[in-house]
Amino acid sequence: MLLGQVDSFIISSTVIVAHAVNEEETMTSEAGSTSGPAAGPATGPINGFAIRRDLVEAHENAWARIAAPGTWLSGAVRVEVAAEVRQATDCRHCVAIKSALSPYGVLGEHETRGILTRAHVELIHRVFCDPGRLTERWTQTVLARQPHDGSHGGLTEGEYVETVGIIAMVMMMDAFSLGLGLPIAPLPAAQAGEPSRYWPPGAKKQAAWLPLVEPQDTVESDGPLYPNPKAGYIYRALSLVPQTVRDYWSLANVHYLPGEFVYRFDTTIRAISRAQTEVLAARVSALHLCSY
Amino acid sequence: MLRESVQIRGESVDLSGVTAGFKEQQAIAHAPLLAQFAQAVVLRDTQQVADLRGQLLDLLGPAAMVDIAAVVAAFHGFTRVADAIGIPYQTAAKGLDAPDVRQAAGINEFFRIKGA
Repeated sequence: MLLGQVDSFIISSTVIVAHAVNEEETMTSEAGSTSGPAAGPATGPINGFAIRRDLVEAHENAWARIAAPGTWLSGAVRVEVAAEVRQATDCRHCVAIKSALSPYGVLGEHETRGILTRAHVELIHRVFCDPGRLTERWTQTVLARQPHDGSHGGLTEGEYVETVGIIAMVMMMDAFSLGLGLPIAPLPAAQAGEPSRYWPPGAKKQAAWLPLVEPQDTVESDGPLYPNPKAGYIYRALSLVPQTVRDYWSLANVHYLPGEFVYRFDTTIRAISRAQTEVLAARVSALHLCSY
Repeated sequence: MLRESVQIRGESVDLSGVTAGFKEQQAIAHAPLLAQFAQAVVLRDTQQVADLRGQLLDLLGPAAMVDIAAVVAAFHGFTRVADAIGIPYQTAAKGLDAPDVRQAAGINEFFRIKGA
């Protein structure tokens, strides 16, 4: 599939150029295994790579969703969250936090774009730089009911969860670009409109630091949330904001595996084996000190 | 998940590689190189990423390289979601990540578990 260097092609919602090529479907089967559905033909060359079409479309859709009004945040704030995620890559305070033995004892301020509130910046930068050492107590400091200083209020729980979803999506797409040597996508233009302010009636704080909707507590107005009634907590995590669940998993499923294949260890629908997939997954998680 | 993906083929994997880095082993082709690439992306070491990408391209081809980058990227998101929301780690992988697996992989030394 290596089709030559074409550096001018980048993945974005506006610039993607999908030169159709006659690519075989990217489906492989390990010895003795069954095969799953394919992702469709790949697009044309992007920095020499033929990117799976489902990945290209998922990135396009993700940026479009980030630009649109959310549930608690406007399109402008959502795009600014994405911009602040990228700002965090150059934040010296984040570097100090990451390297400190006691991450909550580091003095200083994040190097921010200066548009979002301090609570919002703290959430974005710390989730970016040191996710494995977050605590429930820290979570409370960025929430509205316990403002972390006298100069401003914190975030609402809905704003917090929606922001985490955007951080995760931006990090996923930018890490993909880094991995393939592609330029990161330009930020989209924010769309006008009002957030929906939908609060799922079944949400409750019980199993996690933030409220979530257990599968048995979903209602029709939540919209589709889970692939099955036994969906794990990683699926439930963002469920306080149902639209964020859908946005996030529309992207994550094509990067990793759709839910129906996660526990089918004899099957791979990718061009690498399932065991190779899990080596990558485990190593990235460990480097982030993620115990999940 | 890693253990299950190898055991289903009647093989085994040294789980200490999760935290210590993988050594060459029969069960998973190119595991050390894959782990090094994952680490380079996490550290945003662009030169190392480029070097390792070249090696992986030669060994596995461009379609595999796309999927490698996609999976590495996916877990930049999953980790943020799990750790920012504070979901219970004991239920990870439907309980397949049992205490003995966490011990073998070195995960019990992580901040959230050790500090619990």
